[in-house]
Amino acid sequence: MGALGRVFLRSMFLQAAWNPRGMQNLGFADAISPALADLYPDPVERAKAVARHLEFFNCHPYLAAAILGGAVRLEERVANGEAPPQIVSSFKSALGPPFAALGDGFFWLALRPVAALAAAATQPFLGMGCVLVFLVLYNAVHLPVRLWLFATGYLRAEGVVDAVARAHMASGTPFLKACGAALAGAVAARGILHAGIPGRPFAALLVASMIVLAWATLPRLGATRAVYIALGVGLVVGARFL
Amino acid sequence: MLPLPPGGAPHLFVLMVIAALIGGLSAIERKGAFQVMLSRPIVLAPLLGWAVGDAQGGLVLGIPLELLFLGGVNLGGSLPDNESLLAGALTAMVVPAGLATRTGVDGPLAALGLALLLPLALFGRRLDRASEERNTQLLEEALSRAARGDPSAARVNLRGLLLPFGAAAGICALGVLASPLVALARLNCGALALAALEGSWHVVWAVAAACAVRAIRDSRAPALAAICAVTVVAITLAFRGLR
Repeated sequence: MGALGRVFLRSMFLQAAWNPRGMQNLGFADAISPALADLYPDPVERAKAVARHLEFFNCHPYLAAAILGGAVRLEERVANGEAPPQIVSSFKSALGPPFAALGDGFFWLALRPVAALAAAATQPFLGMGCVLVFLVLYNAVHLPVRLWLFATGYLRAEGVVDAVARAHMASGTPFLKACGAALAGAVAARGILHAGIPGRPFAALLVASMIVLAWATLPRLGATRAVYIALGVGLVVGARFL
Repeated sequence: MLPLPPGGAPHLFVLMVIAALIGGLSAIERKGAFQVMLSRPIVLAPLLGWAVGDAQGGLVLGIPLELLFLGGVNLGGSLPDNESLLAGALTAMVVPAGLATRTGVDGPLAALGLALLLPLALFGRRLDRASEERNTQLLEEALSRAARGDPSAARVNLRGLLLPFGAAAGICALGVLASPLVALARLNCGALALAALEGSWHVVWAVAAACAVRAIRDSRAPALAAICAVTVVAITLAFRGLR
């Protein structure tokens, strides 16, 4: 495997030693090391380059692939004497925060919940197959995007910003969230029907009112306390209704 | 005599090893490596359940856990509750207990297990924080090696995976070890206690559904979810009424 392939593989371990001081810095330096080994044959020069990459770095773990690819391309320019080393550093620190926000909003706050809800909603029909629904929906987007980001970062360097902007990642988010809300409703309906049927309308009403009550009080209670209260309420009323 | 899985104590020991391995790997996959979502409860619970003898039982636990922790995200330095540790330990405890009682994972067993292990989600978050603090030592080691001219200084990165692996592996193994006690409690439940626990599980499901709606951080989400829920219930009832 070429150096680029090894850099991409190691990017999968970007957060292995996430630490409060440098955040993803160790992972980034480790990931870019195979490329640096090609560019700087002299071990002392190479160690200096690795040390430069131990500076603070943080991003979304997937979107970081674009910055990593771009950093490899910029390191090539630095090694050829076409640019000063600071260019890599400012590239990383300029792109980290906006790409982090983009990745958090799309992957963590939209794609992942929606894929999981799609699986939860289809479980009554698909059984164990719903696990595949989740993994395929999520990773059919995640893995190609991650590879594309890395390749585009390497090919375009600073141009990756335009390429990512044109990909309209953020614009798909409202539609995904609407799907997620509808699926969450379907999952709630499933809980109500499961408790209430056949012939237990009171249990269905109980579960339906608990959903509304929990929804209203969750921000104040937090999930842990809400679950313990639910367990208690269920114990008290469960024996009478079910 | 404690209720054990069909193969007795050796069987329990094998299950401990399997649960430790899978639980440990999930702790690595969750943040440190790949992040292809194998450590989410909806995948981990049925996967670990399958490995210890009851995939379906794992799925019974995995779906409400996934919904409960759907909104937890790792943004920058802020850590969410550790849903993977809870899912791993709960599956490791409840699925072997279901094998021992010959009931499989039913509502009462699931509710009992969740009541016992829920604090693990918060504990796991503290554990994550501690192991990340400890990674600072790895950073210092890398910095001093790089300063001495060692080009492979950043390779210490992978050592950050050891602590999360070990902690989760140990906790999941303990989960299996505790399973006979949970099985014993389940077998000693009377009809009333079973009905009450079954009710508890339904109400936990209700909280999970509410968490799922909250996880969609959008102002239109509650209305859209309510409309969809009412529609699904109405269609199902109409369909059943016709038959």
